Amino acid sequence: MQGLSSVGSQLVDLCSALLLLTCFAIVAQRRLSACVDLFALQSSFLVVTATLVAFLTGNQHIYIAAGLTGVIKVLIIPRVLKKVIDHLNVKRELVMHVNVPTGLLICGGLVMLAFFIAQPILPLGSLLTRDSLAIALAIVLIGLFTMIARQKAVSQLVGFLVLENGLFLGATAATYGMPLVVELGVFFDVLIATLIAGIYTNRLQDAFDSVDTDRLTVLKE
Amino acid sequence: MTIAVLVVLIAPLLAGGLSLVVHRSAWLHGINLTSIGALVTAETVLTHMVLSDGPVLALGELVYLDALSTFILFIIGVVGLACSFYMRSYMDEQVARGVIAPSQLNQFFFLFHMFLLAMVIATIANSVGIQWVAIEATTLATTFLIAFWKRRESLEAGWKYLILCSVGISLALFGVVLLYYSSLHVLSDASQGLNVTALLPVADRLNPQVLKLAFIFILVGYGTKVGLVPMHSWLPDAYTEAPAPVVAMLAGVLEVVAAYAILRVRVIVDHAVPFAFAGELLTLLGFASLVTAAFFILIQHNYKRLFAYSSIEHMGIAMIGFGIGGPLGTFGGLFHLMNHALAKSMAFFAAGNIHRRFRTVEIEHVQGLAMAQPWTATALMISGLALSALPPFAAFPSEVQILTALASQGVPGMEFAGTSGMVTVALSDQFSRVALVSVFLIAAVLSFGGLLYRITGMVWGTPSEGIVCGERWTLGHLPIILLTVALIGFSVFLPQPIKELLEQATSILVVQ
Repeated sequence: MQGLSSVGSQLVDLCSALLLLTCFAIVAQRRLSACVDLFALQSSFLVVTATLVAFLTGNQHIYIAAGLTGVIKVLIIPRVLKKVIDHLNVKRELVMHVNVPTGLLICGGLVMLAFFIAQPILPLGSLLTRDSLAIALAIVLIGLFTMIARQKAVSQLVGFLVLENGLFLGATAATYGMPLVVELGVFFDVLIATLIAGIYTNRLQDAFDSVDTDRLTVLKE
Repeated sequence: MTIAVLVVLIAPLLAGGLSLVVHRSAWLHGINLTSIGALVTAETVLTHMVLSDGPVLALGELVYLDALSTFILFIIGVVGLACSFYMRSYMDEQVARGVIAPSQLNQFFFLFHMFLLAMVIATIANSVGIQWVAIEATTLATTFLIAFWKRRESLEAGWKYLILCSVGISLALFGVVLLYYSSLHVLSDASQGLNVTALLPVADRLNPQVLKLAFIFILVGYGTKVGLVPMHSWLPDAYTEAPAPVVAMLAGVLEVVAAYAILRVRVIVDHAVPFAFAGELLTLLGFASLVTAAFFILIQHNYKRLFAYSSIEHMGIAMIGFGIGGPLGTFGGLFHLMNHALAKSMAFFAAGNIHRRFRTVEIEHVQGLAMAQPWTATALMISGLALSALPPFAAFPSEVQILTALASQGVPGMEFAGTSGMVTVALSDQFSRVALVSVFLIAAVLSFGGLLYRITGMVWGTPSEGIVCGERWTLGHLPIILLTVALIGFSVFLPQPIKELLEQATSILVVQ
């Protein structure tokens, strides 16, 4: 039993680390459709992590959350985003506010910051998933950074979804999943938010002939 | 009891569903008024129950109503009712003018009811998690309402609102996760771990480190929704572009619900962490909002943005009240939330009327309102005076209460600032209070001057060529009169049920 739990804890750590790694890949990727693929990959790592936690702790309802992640974040949302990208006239992120090497360095700093913030509260967690909370916070911060650093509405949306993945990892790994009603509500919100943002992207494309959010400067003081 | 709770939930849900299938405008408005009427009636019953029997748990502990949530529900009901009356003439005119197709009226009402439903759920939910889901749902329901005119500017405002609020709210979710994380070690039943009723009794045993971190995330997250500086940048844009009744709901109710969500968590945090921690943070954000907004009010040339910044200012003032805490500050803060909701919805009704007649949001292009639209001009003056917190309007006593609390108690935690000797401590405490009170007063006077200067400029003078003079009586004028009566009335006489609600809500928020 001791052996199983230590192997399990290492596996959970490994999966969380893979999630973090895909974040860096997304930050380094300029092609919009590749960003979406990477997001789908990250979500599938999330499914594996959640299933592992469900198996190791015996919490049945995490299986449901894992299944929903699979359906919504690996299948539906990437498809929706691909459709949105097909409608656009630009496939690549041409100008970034922060260039790739600097972005990666900043993300490295964010990971350290996350571990620094989470350090005092980590010992509270159970042995199995102790480090995942810090990794989750790091993913949240990187998602936030992506939203600031990117210009295209679609990549900002990917940043938002990465941030959501971080939150879900935090909820699953640190607390073994929140109550099911809450988790279902969160899934519903994320799905609707993505659909709405997709509709917006199309409308922005039609109205401004571009999805550069830098063009959104009509309203100011 | 359960029936009243069910009515509050089902009325907007049913109305939303019906709005999708009904096509006649008169029917849509009828459904809207019926549902909001049912909501207000049920709400009155619930108020009565909570006041006589204490807090209510319903629907298998999913719903928790105490004096605080009933008070917020009361604000939702009043402002919702006022908006529904106002929408009757407002939306019909937009359709008649061809701004929107008659079929779009369905969408509008559907989204409006979903918005209302989400706010009701956020208010009565027992679980902090469900509350989060509902507040995110308000973002999703309102983003298309903000972008409803589908102009380029409104698309921009809607997108900014969606992205900024979603991100803010996500941070709040991390706070909720942390709150849950802290409860797991204390509560035996994990499925109860986010319920306010389960957390409050054990709150003093929760881990303070985790709670501090959770509170910061939640404050920043919901603070975005409240529109506190520096997370406020979506707010003026959204308030300029959205249809007037929607803005009245955003400014009057949504801000209050988001502030309520912060207060709920704050009570739990206060049990485990010294009171000064949350108090200082709230006061800091409050002062930042107050001062920044006062500055932007001074340089404003767009009357909708003027009112938007005045919203930021007043939410800042309320946050200062909550930050100082104690019975006086908390009571003042809650009272101020209500007064601001009433005055601001009225201000945006007036702004909507002006925009329909003058077709501009520039202050300098609007002149001679007293001749063109005498009713609206009166409403604008009254709301302007009320928002400047002048007597005899209700915002005056609430602002004075907050100021008195600030002067007498000072900001919690500040007295620990000085360390060397008793005299220095006493002096620095005195000094910081005087400094804060003067900052408060200067900002309040600046925004008072800015607001009234702009408004009087719009009211007097002669209207430019081509502006039709005279104002026909519509149903939209009814809420303006009722709100005026309430604003003046509440300053001299607070009806017994509202007063009791406010007092009980205050005692819920004040720990010890």
